[in-house]
Amino acid sequence: MDAMLVLQLLLGGLQTGAIYALTAAGFALIFGTTRVFHVAHGATFTLAGYVFVFAWNAGWHPALGVLAAVAVAVLFGIGMERFVYRPIQRHEGSFFTVFVAAFGVSIVVQNLVGMVAGRGFANVDTTLSRAVEVLPEVFLAQVFWVAIGVAVVLFVALTAFLSRTHAGVALRALAQNPDLIRAYGLSSSRLSVLTFALGSALAAPAAILMAMTTGLNEAVGNHVMLLSMAATMVGGVGSLRGAAVAGVLLGVAESLVLLVLDTQWAEAASFLVLFGFILFRPTGLFGVVAAR
Amino acid sequence: MTAYLASLATLAAIFAILAVTLNFMVGYAGIFSVAHAVFFGLGAYAGAQVALHLVPDALAACAVAALIAGGLSLCLALPALRVRGEYFVAASLGLQMMALTLFSEAKGLTGGLGGLIGIPPPRLFGFAVGALPLSLAALALILLAIAAMARGSFGRTLQSIRDAESAAEALGKNVAVAKALAVAFACAGAGVAGALFALHMQFVNVESFTLEQSVLVMAMVIVGGTGTLLGPVVGAVLLLSLPAGLAFLPFIPPTEVGAVQQIIYGLAMTLLMIFRPAGLVGDLSRGRSEA
Amino acid sequence: MTAIRFGRRGLLGSALAAPFIGRASAQGGDPYVVGTLFPLSGPNAEYGGVFTAGAQLALEHIEQDRMLKRPVRLQAEDTQALPQQAVVGMNKLVNVDRANWTLVGFTAVSKAVAPIGDRAKVIMVNGGAVGPDLSGLSPYFWNVIPLAHLETRALLPYLVGQRGAKRIALVYVDDPLGDAILGILRDELPKAGGQLVGSFSVPRTAQQFGPVAARVRQVRPDAVYIASFGAQQSQIIKGLRDNGVSQLLCSYSAMNLDSVRSLPEANGLIFTGQKVDFEGGDAITRRFAADFRKANGKEPTIYNVNYYNATRLFGLLGQQVEAEGGQLGGDSLRAALLKTRKFPLVGGTGEFDDAGNMMAAIEVNELRDGRLNRLAG
Repeated sequence: MDAMLVLQLLLGGLQTGAIYALTAAGFALIFGTTRVFHVAHGATFTLAGYVFVFAWNAGWHPALGVLAAVAVAVLFGIGMERFVYRPIQRHEGSFFTVFVAAFGVSIVVQNLVGMVAGRGFANVDTTLSRAVEVLPEVFLAQVFWVAIGVAVVLFVALTAFLSRTHAGVALRALAQNPDLIRAYGLSSSRLSVLTFALGSALAAPAAILMAMTTGLNEAVGNHVMLLSMAATMVGGVGSLRGAAVAGVLLGVAESLVLLVLDTQWAEAASFLVLFGFILFRPTGLFGVVAAR
Repeated sequence: MTAYLASLATLAAIFAILAVTLNFMVGYAGIFSVAHAVFFGLGAYAGAQVALHLVPDALAACAVAALIAGGLSLCLALPALRVRGEYFVAASLGLQMMALTLFSEAKGLTGGLGGLIGIPPPRLFGFAVGALPLSLAALALILLAIAAMARGSFGRTLQSIRDAESAAEALGKNVAVAKALAVAFACAGAGVAGALFALHMQFVNVESFTLEQSVLVMAMVIVGGTGTLLGPVVGAVLLLSLPAGLAFLPFIPPTEVGAVQQIIYGLAMTLLMIFRPAGLVGDLSRGRSEA
Repeated sequence: MTAIRFGRRGLLGSALAAPFIGRASAQGGDPYVVGTLFPLSGPNAEYGGVFTAGAQLALEHIEQDRMLKRPVRLQAEDTQALPQQAVVGMNKLVNVDRANWTLVGFTAVSKAVAPIGDRAKVIMVNGGAVGPDLSGLSPYFWNVIPLAHLETRALLPYLVGQRGAKRIALVYVDDPLGDAILGILRDELPKAGGQLVGSFSVPRTAQQFGPVAARVRQVRPDAVYIASFGAQQSQIIKGLRDNGVSQLLCSYSAMNLDSVRSLPEANGLIFTGQKVDFEGGDAITRRFAADFRKANGKEPTIYNVNYYNATRLFGLLGQQVEAEGGQLGGDSLRAALLKTRKFPLVGGTGEFDDAGNMMAAIEVNELRDGRLNRLAG
């Protein structure tokens, strides 16, 4: 087997994996902490990505674009928590009800984005994504380092937040036992807003990276949502680290599968991995909560 | 005009079959799947192949379609039903995505993206029949079967599983077998719908069996009301007539009709879940506690 | 993205203009109905806008020239490029609107509506899809676009002979069109002195092309042929360019989209298309080009031309049938087509074979800075 091809596919997979890891960590944080199966996480991703593209095309400074994208992601996440999930959970909280409501929102967002921004391909034109030959036969773009760097920094920061700050510890407690939180006089509703804000914010950098590399379309959220969900399950529900690692793994699997299979099977590979885990190891890689 | 209405009614009946069978899984047995279009597709391909290569008999096509869709769903459900809730939904989503790749690649059976053309119109015992009476008859039979089952002991077992699985298990109900049978029945029904769809359209390709289609069927069930007998039929008719209804609203630019329609059923799903989780037809008090 | 917006605004504008209301008194009788089955929503809506713009201009010209004794009404049905919606739309056009003529695009849509049009004897004309499986679907199903295998065949001599690209890799969507192109590259490249060194099938929904690019680079091609359509084309081009595929990219007429033209990575892309000379062509072509620019504020594309031609053909055949005192039905229009065979259309004379497929000259174009330069043909 061509060693350079393996290296190339591995690096490409890592770049994609970094994007998946970010969205998966956001999804896993929300699901693990609040038990809300936040299917509209894909919609957060789409909105953030398009806001960045819009800002870029309007000639805003990139930093401003990033801020705008994060802001929109956070607002959307909080809005979902306040106006969709909370009212549903107030009278009953069956998983399916939440799932359907969130799915409905995803459909609305996808079509609104299509109406406003045009359907089809949208990307930002930057030289960051243009790969150059770094080793014989191995091409790498600067965006690779950006993606890896952003993913690592954010993940370290998030872990530090969850283990070192009061709010972070409270979030973790919420995941373990919501009643306990209330007994200690903390507001579980404020904590869950915080969770949605944090988790949604993680989708923004991922969306921006995707706008720079493969480009976006209005339906991109579906794919992202599926992968985040898959990564959360493969990683093990309740484990942020698991979701991030699984996100990277899925990205790499999608890429490396081309060594043995034809190109059309790349996408199916991630879902095969998901299937395998659900059937044979439903607790995932780092599962702390058994599949209920 | 009549021909147009008949063609619409046929589609409505076919989608009603899909909706009531999905509802049988979701509303009666509490099994949430977003892969119903996969079994619809399996049935369509099976029915099309029977009609193309064996005999263009609607009964034969439906029977083979039901066997294949039901049988395969049984094979998939037995291992997948060991997990619950989120996991099963995720597995069904994964199945939906993989099945699309398989449908596109298994060209010998499905014609790939190009699809199968020249499917003969339906016949019954050698006589030409319309797709409409066939679809209505199939819908009526399936509704009767569901009504009978819901009232019988099988239905009660399923409902007890839906409401409290552990309790049902403790009472000595064979949960795994009951759930698997429910899935097999629902998917066989989707297969029948698929065969009728193939005979009605005379053309099938993978684009009719996408995630969007699964979501549409799910929306029909939800808008109509889960766990009710006729709710999904109402949901199917409503959502299918939505595009035609929108055409009468002149302020929607023609290029946005499709998007507006999707937004409407997206909004309907969300708002119903927030304000009326039992659906339009559903009993509100029951829905609040169980839906 | 602005490009995509244009299509919708253009369409909206013309829909508001409603050019046919109130003129019925000038010409007698109920209007003829031309039905369109285009994707007006969903991921392929960009095509729907482009197709409609061409058809609309042709209807205006038919009206201006008083080609027909009755006014013509355009009835648009949205298919989302999906077969099921297309069948509903076609049933409506045939049974409720009593369409005299229908325009279709997209392979699955064409195949799904063909049995209905066949039974009802309504002419269906395709000017967008180029899968070779569209030939002979029904006696009433015609193509005013040269099907893709003709385009690919025409590209090979230029590619191998003039550009010296002997090693070709193919990135394709595995549908009948992609299959046909694969077959032609495999069988006919060697005859032209080249070789197909690798073929990479991608799912229609794929968005990630970095790994594919790595595999493409590995076979060391001189040129990469892309066979996809819609938004995915831009993603493939960007994915290949971003990931170190610097070789010549080539394709077929589906690349003639604004979203591709405005993509910087697509600079230098070579693709085939029907030969149309908007500047030096005949009077019909020049009038089309001038009026199109006036109405839409931009250069026409080949799809505008095809659906203009598809609609103009209705005017020409209808005129012929009316002159013979007949009704405008599928059989009379078909008889007129087979009798006359050659028609003055945009781009020159269009000639139809027995199955209703139009043959046309193919040209090879290069995309440079958002403009097309003719290279050969």
